[in-house]
Amino acid sequence: MTASIPDATTLGRPRGTSGVPILELRGLEKRYVGTHALKPATLAFEAGEIHAIVGENGAGKSTLIKLLTGVIPRTSGEIFWEGRPVGLATPHEAIDLGINAVHQEVVLCRHLTVAANMFLGEETSRFGLLQHRAMVREAQRTLDDLGFDLPAHVLLGDLTIGQQQLIAAARAATRGTRFLIFDEPTAYLTRREAAQLFALIRRLEAEGVTIVYISHRMEEVFELATRVSILRDGTLVGTRRIGETDEADLIALMINRSIEQIYHKDKYTPGKPILETRGLSGPGFEDVSITVREGEIVGLYGLIGAGRSEFVTTVFGRHKRTAGEVLWDGRPVTIRSEAEAIELGIALAPESRRDQGLCLNLPVGLNLNLPVYTKLAPTGLISARQEAERADRQIAGLRIKTPGRATLASSLSGGNQQKIVIGKWLNHGAKLFIFDEPTVGVDVGTKAEIYRLFSELLSKGAGIILISSYLPEVYELADTLHVFRRGRLVSSHGYHAATHEDILTRAIGV
Amino acid sequence: MTDVTNKARGLPKGRLNILFGLTLFALLLLLWVILGFATNSFWTGNNISNLLRQGSMTAILAIGQTFVIITGGIDLSVGAIVGFTSVIVSLFLQWGLPIWAAVVLTLLFGVAIGLFHGFGIVRMGLPPFIITLATLTSLRGIGLLITNGATISITNDEFTAFSRANFLGVPSLFWMVIMVAVPAYILLNHSRWGRYLFAVGSNAEAARLSGVNVPRIIYMAYVLSALFASFVGLLLAARIGIGNATQAEGWELQAIASSVIGGTSLFGAIGSVHGPLLGAFILATINNGANLLNVNSFWQRIVTGVLIIVIVYFDQLRRRRG
Repeated sequence: MTASIPDATTLGRPRGTSGVPILELRGLEKRYVGTHALKPATLAFEAGEIHAIVGENGAGKSTLIKLLTGVIPRTSGEIFWEGRPVGLATPHEAIDLGINAVHQEVVLCRHLTVAANMFLGEETSRFGLLQHRAMVREAQRTLDDLGFDLPAHVLLGDLTIGQQQLIAAARAATRGTRFLIFDEPTAYLTRREAAQLFALIRRLEAEGVTIVYISHRMEEVFELATRVSILRDGTLVGTRRIGETDEADLIALMINRSIEQIYHKDKYTPGKPILETRGLSGPGFEDVSITVREGEIVGLYGLIGAGRSEFVTTVFGRHKRTAGEVLWDGRPVTIRSEAEAIELGIALAPESRRDQGLCLNLPVGLNLNLPVYTKLAPTGLISARQEAERADRQIAGLRIKTPGRATLASSLSGGNQQKIVIGKWLNHGAKLFIFDEPTVGVDVGTKAEIYRLFSELLSKGAGIILISSYLPEVYELADTLHVFRRGRLVSSHGYHAATHEDILTRAIGV
Repeated sequence: MTDVTNKARGLPKGRLNILFGLTLFALLLLLWVILGFATNSFWTGNNISNLLRQGSMTAILAIGQTFVIITGGIDLSVGAIVGFTSVIVSLFLQWGLPIWAAVVLTLLFGVAIGLFHGFGIVRMGLPPFIITLATLTSLRGIGLLITNGATISITNDEFTAFSRANFLGVPSLFWMVIMVAVPAYILLNHSRWGRYLFAVGSNAEAARLSGVNVPRIIYMAYVLSALFASFVGLLLAARIGIGNATQAEGWELQAIASSVIGGTSLFGAIGSVHGPLLGAFILATINNGANLLNVNSFWQRIVTGVLIIVIVYFDQLRRRRG
């Protein structure tokens, strides 16, 4: 559906003239067979603004980014770049115009140096030979200039995910970019890295670069953006100036649900201890003592790399402990493998869906059943009917949006994938559930569903360890909150017993 | 959401696999029909028996290979195992061991080789390509060393008669394919270990965190591949009546080609039992047909190569578009 009246006055004006949007969409639409991914959207990005886009997973944000960066062709509608219609049919065309994107997952070469990555595709060479030292020097100057405290000569893979993300942003920022899209850039960043990224974004804004910022974190949207657009179910439901809206308003537009309903928490009286660690040490953490009781959520907060994931994976038998004790139901146990942990009644939904949580190119049903095949097929032979029933029950119970159990997990949206990661443990009969960053990259609606699941588990007498780098989440949900810093447990707090500032200070260690 | 993902939603994976299997089967039938018109001798009982015997050994190797490839690995040693075990079984028979004992001991050798591969991959952390490449060359060396390079003739007629025998009009070698393929099919599609094979090939870490004993599954895949290869060694020894370590040169590539033509993905997590079977018999038909048509055998190799490219290319297109 194209706009019926082309705005003739905006055509052919010189670039940079105020009032001409840098990029304008008129009735932009994307259909797939069976899905209307983006319904006709009309939106103008003003030159030099920071424009946030919010919406639940599957609301059409990814589709919009892919259309703008030329990754997929549009079904109908028009795109105007500085008033001129453009095709944007290939990524190359987008890059030539100055449109770039920084993706949630870093898409760079881990085995090359930081400098080589920054110059990838436009290496400096003399007589066909690469000028390594010159490139490293140049890259280091750029990084220093941006205020990133990062070395240019090391291999990209040696940096943390957060640091790699900063390099990706720096790379995009230094390529004559005029329109830069950030897709959930802070999902894996520490606070300090996020601050550096925000400094970079502000700097780009000052240089007149137009920024599109996609995030689930409301406070970031309010901190950075000048305007915000809301997508819901593939429909652009509105655009607001940031001064004329608030968090509650945006969430209502996104999901038609109020904010109080998101952090759903029912209080249960804690029962007897399920798991106790006494002075447990292992790779990446030292001397951690915690107790998880029935009906209780124990939150582990800290910066990324503080040792929380290492702690829980060690409890789960993935790594060997080096010191300390683990008590299960009051009895000391040695958990040597994941299978032993599962046998005891521990379930772990790991941090990274892609790397640890899912078999992406296998069917949804197989993923859901993977931990229960020992029960489903004690003799080894599987009853296809039972397997199918079990998968279908899970899909229905968790409201996983998928055409069926045979669909590949890779074709689901992030939130629905996360439901599989969590859901595959629900009917397993575990007593202790460990959720490591269960809501990273998950939309508000799915978050609320996940929190409700927590309540359900607690009501059945299970205990939960919840790891989150998002303070409001652990703060609102945890009955006991432990703060980690550099592999050590530095403080413990009761429900709402300390302020946000207090906890942050402990985690950062200033 | 991309085109890939959305089209994939249209049809469940299982149904697509069946469709692909049917296309391959249609291709095989088409080849048979064409050869039937082009030659006088193709549809003779003798030739069909011959074709089935030719394809059988590759087919069994290809099934074992497929298990390994599904885990994301590769087994380059299967050809060498065939040659090596043909020597071993000939020796056992020469020593006067009863057939059943010679067979069982030879198969145990196969299991041991598979365990060694598993050990190299799981314990020593070697890439499958490397450890099986190493056994590929050393097994041939060991075989030659034992026999001092000579060929051992098998004088046990009972043993060699088996390969020429027919049961219900079908060559016994082909019955062996069925004997391997049916349990293999049940293992891969109707047992929990089959699911684990796919899970390990798709994402070993996710499988591990879901409680799957990943090392055990890797051991299983390589042991099955080596076991099947030693079984083929027995069949080959029976068929040609000799044991020689240089036999079955390049069969590992035939097996990999059959598997890949049959839709197995070298990236792991995609594969079936019927696929490599069809792949093996398509390759056998091409060889057989080329012989009948008096095509230079050099051309056969070229045709096989081209065929691999064409079939796998279309398979990928199908996966991409649904």
